[in-house]
Amino acid sequence: METFFLAISFIIAAGVLPFLFLRSSRLMRGSAVIMTAAGGLTGLLFAARAMTTATPPAATFLLPGGLRVLMQVDAVSAFFLLPIFLVAPVAALYSFHYTRAQGPRAAAGYLFFSLLTAAMAAVVCAADITGFIIAWELMSISSFFLVIHDFGKKESRRAGYIYLLFAQAGAMVIFATFALAYGKSGSLDFASFATMPAQARILVFVLAFIGFGSKAGIIPLHTWLPHAHPAAESHVSALMSGVMIKMGIYGMVRFYAILRPPGPGCAMLLILTGAVTGVLGVVLALGQHDLKRLLAYHSVENIGIIVLGLGIGMLGAATGHPLMALLGFAGGLLHVLNHALFKSLLFMGAGSVQRGAATLNIEQLGGLMKRMPLSGTCFLAGSLAICGLPPFNGFVSEFLVYSGGFQGVANSEAQMFTALAAVISLAVIGGLAVACFTKVVGVVFLGEPRSEKAKIAPPAGRCMQAAMVLLAVACLGIGLGAPWFIALARRAAGPLLATPTPMPAPLDTAAYAIALAAAGFLLLLAILAAGRGLLAHGRPAESATWGCGFSSPTPRMQYTGSSFAAEIVGFYRPFVIIRRDFSGIHGLFPPLSSFRSHTIDLVELGIRRWLARSVMALTGKIRWLQHGHIQLYIAYIFFAMLGLLLWLMV
Amino acid sequence: MLKSTLIMLAAMAAAPVLAAITGRVKAWLAGRRGPDWTLNYATLAKLLRKTPVYSRSTTYVFRLGPLVGLATILAALAFLPIAGRPPIFSFAGDVVFVFYLLGLGRFFVVAAALDTASPFEGMGAAREALFGTLAEATVFMVLFLLQQTHGGMSLATYLAATTAGPGMNGAALVLAVIALFMILLTENSRVPVDDPTTHLELTMIHEVMILDHSGPDLAMIEMGGWLKLLFYATFIADIACPFRGGPGDYLLYILALLVIYGGIGLVESITARFRMSLVPKFILTSFALAFFALIFTMEMPG
Repeated sequence: METFFLAISFIIAAGVLPFLFLRSSRLMRGSAVIMTAAGGLTGLLFAARAMTTATPPAATFLLPGGLRVLMQVDAVSAFFLLPIFLVAPVAALYSFHYTRAQGPRAAAGYLFFSLLTAAMAAVVCAADITGFIIAWELMSISSFFLVIHDFGKKESRRAGYIYLLFAQAGAMVIFATFALAYGKSGSLDFASFATMPAQARILVFVLAFIGFGSKAGIIPLHTWLPHAHPAAESHVSALMSGVMIKMGIYGMVRFYAILRPPGPGCAMLLILTGAVTGVLGVVLALGQHDLKRLLAYHSVENIGIIVLGLGIGMLGAATGHPLMALLGFAGGLLHVLNHALFKSLLFMGAGSVQRGAATLNIEQLGGLMKRMPLSGTCFLAGSLAICGLPPFNGFVSEFLVYSGGFQGVANSEAQMFTALAAVISLAVIGGLAVACFTKVVGVVFLGEPRSEKAKIAPPAGRCMQAAMVLLAVACLGIGLGAPWFIALARRAAGPLLATPTPMPAPLDTAAYAIALAAAGFLLLLAILAAGRGLLAHGRPAESATWGCGFSSPTPRMQYTGSSFAAEIVGFYRPFVIIRRDFSGIHGLFPPLSSFRSHTIDLVELGIRRWLARSVMALTGKIRWLQHGHIQLYIAYIFFAMLGLLLWLMV
Repeated sequence: MLKSTLIMLAAMAAAPVLAAITGRVKAWLAGRRGPDWTLNYATLAKLLRKTPVYSRSTTYVFRLGPLVGLATILAALAFLPIAGRPPIFSFAGDVVFVFYLLGLGRFFVVAAALDTASPFEGMGAAREALFGTLAEATVFMVLFLLQQTHGGMSLATYLAATTAGPGMNGAALVLAVIALFMILLTENSRVPVDDPTTHLELTMIHEVMILDHSGPDLAMIEMGGWLKLLFYATFIADIACPFRGGPGDYLLYILALLVIYGGIGLVESITARFRMSLVPKFILTSFALAFFALIFTMEMPG
C-alpha cells in the first residue's frame, strides 16, 4: 500500500509544483508532466502487484474528527487503477504542447488535473462509505473546475452548470444508496452490506445503478456528457471520458460484487439499459457536427457496451452459467480498459484538429490527413479500435461480450430473448459505429479542406503526436496480445464470480486464435500490398477526381457529414429528431437564403421541457422564502432553534 | 488442411466464371447472347496490366481501400466450409471475427470513397454505410439461430457436413435461406438494392464508390466483389444442402451455386431496382424472416 501512497504523492506534486514555476511556462509544464509520469509508473507497478497477490493490500487511517477510512485493493480495484495510471501520464504528456499558449493559468489546470487523478485512484481503493464519499466528491468537484477552465465563455459556464447538476444529482442518489445500506446493515464498511436481506440488496443495487449511471452516462442520464466534453480541454476530455466516467462503472461493479442481487431481474435491467444506451448513443453521435460532442456521444455508446457486458455476466451468474458470467464480466471489464485507451486517443486527435484548424465543426474541416499525417493516422487507428474492428483492441472485448451473449441460448426463453437483444444490439452498434467513424475520418481527415483554416492547419506539437502514437500502439498491442489481456480481465472478474471458473479449452484457444488471426490478416495485407507493388507498371499517374464531366468542382460540393448521416439518422427518426431551419426561397430575385439542420436529443428535450420546468414551477412557489433580507434570515435561524429546543423539552 | 486449401483455391479461381452465370441468365432471359464465359478473367488481366491513376485529392487511405477489401474477403473465405468440407482455419468464436473482418473491409471501402472528395462517391458511401448496418443485424440473427440449432460459435460447426441430420426444421430453413439470399443481394449490391450494370448518373451504391479506382486497384475490387458473392452463395449452399461428407457433396454444391447464381440473374431480370427509401424495408424484411426462423426453431425443435 506504501507504493500506492507514493504514487498519489507524486501525482499531487504534479499539481503543486507548477505553482513554484509560474515564471517559466516550460518548467511549469515540464514539472507537471514528469511528476505525473512518475506517479503513473509507480501506480502501475502497484496495480500490477495488487492484481497478482493473493491477499489484497489494505490500509486504515483516521481522519481529524475521529472518522475512520478504510482502503482495500482487490483485483477489481487494481484493474480499474490501470486506466487511471495509464491515461493520466499520457494526457499530461499531450498537454505539454497543448497548453503551450496558456501562460501561468495552466498551473490551475494542472492542479485540478492532478486532484482529479488522485481522487479517482482513491475512489477505486475506498472500502467504506466515508472514504468513498470524500474521494467521489473531490473527483466531481475537481472535474467541474476543469470543465469551466474557460469560464469567460458563456457555453463553458453553462456546460459546467449542467455537469455540476448531474454530478450532484447522481451523488444524491448514491448518498441515498449509502444511507439505505447503512440503515439496513448498521455499518460503514462496504463488506458488511452483503449481510442485508435479499430484497434490500436488490433495492440498494438498483439505486446504486441509477446513481453511478449518471456519472457513467447511461441513457437517460447522459445529457451532461455532450456539454462537458466540448467545453473542457482535450487532455481533460481524454481523462474524463476515458477514465472518469468509468468510475460510474466501477461503482456498479463494486456494488454488484458486494451485494450479488439474486434473480435475473437486475441483469435484465442492465442488458436492456445497455442496449438502449449503446444504440441511441451511436445514433445521436452520427447526427453531431461538433467533433468533441460526437465523441462524447460515442462514450455513451461504449458505456452501453460495457453495461451490456456486465449485464450478460450478471445474467450468467444469476442463472447458474459460470462460463457466460465469466465472458460477460471479462468482456465488460476489458472494454473499460480498451475504451480508456482509444477514447483518449480520439479526444487527443480532436484536440490536434482544434489546435490546427481552430474549429471543431466537422463541416468546415477536410483533407487534414495531408496536413497532419501522423495525427490523422493515429486517429484512424483509434477509429478502427472504437468500431471494434480487428486487429485492434476494441474487437477483443466485444468478442468476449459476444461470446457471453451466444452462451445465453441454452437458457430459458425469456433469458434467451434478453441474450438475443444483447447480441443484435451489439451488431447494430458495431455497424452504426463503422458508419459514424467513416463519416468522421472521411469528412475531417480525407477529401479536400472545406475552409481556409483547414487548408493551412499546422501539424500538432511533438508531445501531442508522441502521446497519440503511444496510445495507438497500445490499441494495436492489446489487439495482437489478446491472450494476455483476456487473462488480465479474467483475473479482474474473479471477485465477481461466485466460484472460480476456469476457461474451457475451446475458448482458451480462441483467445490465442483471435490474436493469431489478427496477425495473420496483417500479414496477408502486407503480402497483397507487396504483390500490387510488384505488378505495378510505371509510375501511377496523377489527375483530378472524376467529376462526371463537370470540370470545376469546389471543396464545398463535397458530401458533408450531415448529408452522410442524414439517411441513417432519419431511419431512427422516432427516437432522434432532425430539426431543419430553411429560410425558403421567395420572389423572382430571391435574396440570400439559409439552411441549418441539427439533431435533437429527445432525452435532453424531455428533461428540459418536463422535468426542469415542473421543478422550476414547484420551487417558484416557495421562492418568497428567499428575499435577501438578512434580518429575516436570522429570524429563521432563531425560530428554528426555538422550535428544536421546544421539541427537545417535550 | 491441404485439401481445404485446394478446395478454397479452386472455388476462388472459379469465382469470376460463376459470376458470369448471372450475366448469361440475364442475357438469355432478355433474348441476347450474353458475354463470353472468360470475359471476367480477361477483364482482370487487362486491369492488372494498366497503370493506375490517382486523384490529387486522395491519400494513402484511398490506396488501402481495395487492398483491405480484398484481404478481408480472402481471410473470411479461409474460415468458411466449402461444400461441407472443414475450412482451413476454425476456432470457437470465428463467426464474430469473420463478420467483423468484413466490417473492416466496409470501413476502408467507404473511407476510400470519401477520400476522393467527390460528392457522388460520398452519396454511395453513405448508402453503403446505412445498408451495411442493417444487414449486419440480419446476419447476427441468423448466426444466433445457427447457434441455437448447432451449438458452438464457429462457421465450421454451423456449416460443415454432419451425419447427425438437419439441425434446423424445414420451415425455419426456408425462412433462413430466403433471409440470407436477401442479404446476399444487399451485400453484393444486386437488384433490387442496387444495379451493378449501371454506370455514372444511374449508379447508386457500389459502382459509384469505385468510380475513381483504376488499374490493379480496380482489379482487386472486382475480384473482391466476386469472392464476396461466392462467400454468401457458399454460406447459403452450406445451410441449404444436406452435405454428408461423401464425394456427391461437390456435385450438390456446384448445383446449389448454379441455382443461386442463376437465381440472382432471374431476380435481376424480373424485378426493377427499388427506390432508395424502400431498401431499408427490404433489409428489415430479411431480419423479420430470420427472427421468425428463430421462433420456429424454438417452438418446433428438430
